[in-house]
Amino acid sequence: MFKKSNFIERSLTGALSFIKGSIFAEGYASRIGFLQSLDPRIKAATFLLFLLQILFTKNILVLLYLYALCLMLAQVSRIDLLFFLKRTWVFIPLFSLFIAIPALFSIFTPGDPLVSFSLIGHKLTITHQGLSGAELFVTRVITSVSFVVLLSITTKHFELLKVLRIFKIPQVFVMTLGMCYRYIYLFAEIIEDTYLAIKSRVGTLVHYKRGQHLVAWNIAYLWHRSYQLNEEVYKAMLSRGYAGEPAVLTDFRFKPKDLVWFIFAAIMFTAMRKYG
Amino acid sequence: MHIPDGYLGPATCGVFYAVMLPIWTAASKIVKKTLKARQVPMLAIGAAFSFVIMMFNVPIPGGSTGHAVGGVLVAILLGPWAACISITVALVVQALLFGDGGITAIGANCFNMAFVLPFVGYYVYRAVSCKASEDSGRKIFAAGVAGYIGINVAAFLAGFEFGLQPLLHHTASGQALYCPYGLNAAVPAMVGEHILIFGWVEAIVTALVVKYLQKHSPDLLLMRQINQDDLSH
Repeated sequence: MFKKSNFIERSLTGALSFIKGSIFAEGYASRIGFLQSLDPRIKAATFLLFLLQILFTKNILVLLYLYALCLMLAQVSRIDLLFFLKRTWVFIPLFSLFIAIPALFSIFTPGDPLVSFSLIGHKLTITHQGLSGAELFVTRVITSVSFVVLLSITTKHFELLKVLRIFKIPQVFVMTLGMCYRYIYLFAEIIEDTYLAIKSRVGTLVHYKRGQHLVAWNIAYLWHRSYQLNEEVYKAMLSRGYAGEPAVLTDFRFKPKDLVWFIFAAIMFTAMRKYG
Repeated sequence: MHIPDGYLGPATCGVFYAVMLPIWTAASKIVKKTLKARQVPMLAIGAAFSFVIMMFNVPIPGGSTGHAVGGVLVAILLGPWAACISITVALVVQALLFGDGGITAIGANCFNMAFVLPFVGYYVYRAVSCKASEDSGRKIFAAGVAGYIGINVAAFLAGFEFGLQPLLHHTASGQALYCPYGLNAAVPAMVGEHILIFGWVEAIVTALVVKYLQKHSPDLLLMRQINQDDLSH
């Protein structure tokens, strides 16, 4: 949550990398690959099955199998594996790996001793239970994160938001999600422009107290602009025929390939639930 | 504060989805009543605002930076129910489109950050500011206190949810199946860092934003008040 760096540079870099990262991801979603060719509804439903399997399983082999399947799906969907590994391991799984280390030891996980050693006069013992628990925990986290990232980078974001309707999520939420998604980019651009302007006028050396005022002022100003935007957006909605209830166009097409993939995923889910 | 997939077991995930379902239903009904038709885009704009608040790096002593969650600020600006919807939408976008925060943990994340954080913060803000005028220094102080308490209560709950996992889900030999730390480790870790560092970041940001809005756009602080009055009539 906090990092040692100048706050102007960090905010600028953060906003820029967010925009760039998203453009990259949209590029992958537009490629011709296996997952990109599936109906987004089927893809989302089957990925949800995989996520549930990852959540329920107590067997690390099932998790490793699912992780291998995820990497294979990334490969056949023409996702650069290095990009995918970097995108999925940083930040949550690496953080999870780091916090899982103390859990290896008997202080946090008592159990059958595996290895004992001394560190600055203190005897430390790694337990079987600690090691197995940490392995399972990190594998579960990386497999979950990989499936979610794979879904998000192989599906156009506006399609993914429309898919939520198959889970009977009220239209007002779907509309709000779609609109929110567009504003995020607008706001990220505003943040980038603002910090670039600050950097060009005052440099990056600002006392932290002055910096806090600067950040608060920018957040307040962003809210002010948001409120003004609300009026314009409402008028634009009215001019396009909005009459109190949102309408969403459906253009998904179910193909035989989707059926084959769905059957494969359902069989795998059932088999893993039975044997895993 | 965002709980990723794999940290919470199926029972905890299921319970929080079940808890959030009536809250989301109530929130959408209340917001439909209070928000005027022309304020409908405000929900989406509020959600995007909640999302990008975390992009603002706040300088803290020692040359480091932290970021605020902004849940209490959104509740002060939009009211707690609208904040609940806006923050939920922001969390869903983060989890689904950007892989930040888990899909199976959305219920728990929404309970902590879209329900407890804005509601606790909002009512602390109202209690501390009492009947002070919108341009008073007391409102600024109240916003700071609300930000600090709100984020700490939410952090405590997140720590509590982590800490429950080894008790709820373990093998016969005592091996943890999800988050491996019990209540004695998870709660102090989560609460400690928020009491010492991130609570102050949240308090400073919330108070200063209210101060600037009082000075430059006081009408924006009154918008929530107008909507609340409409609801009570």
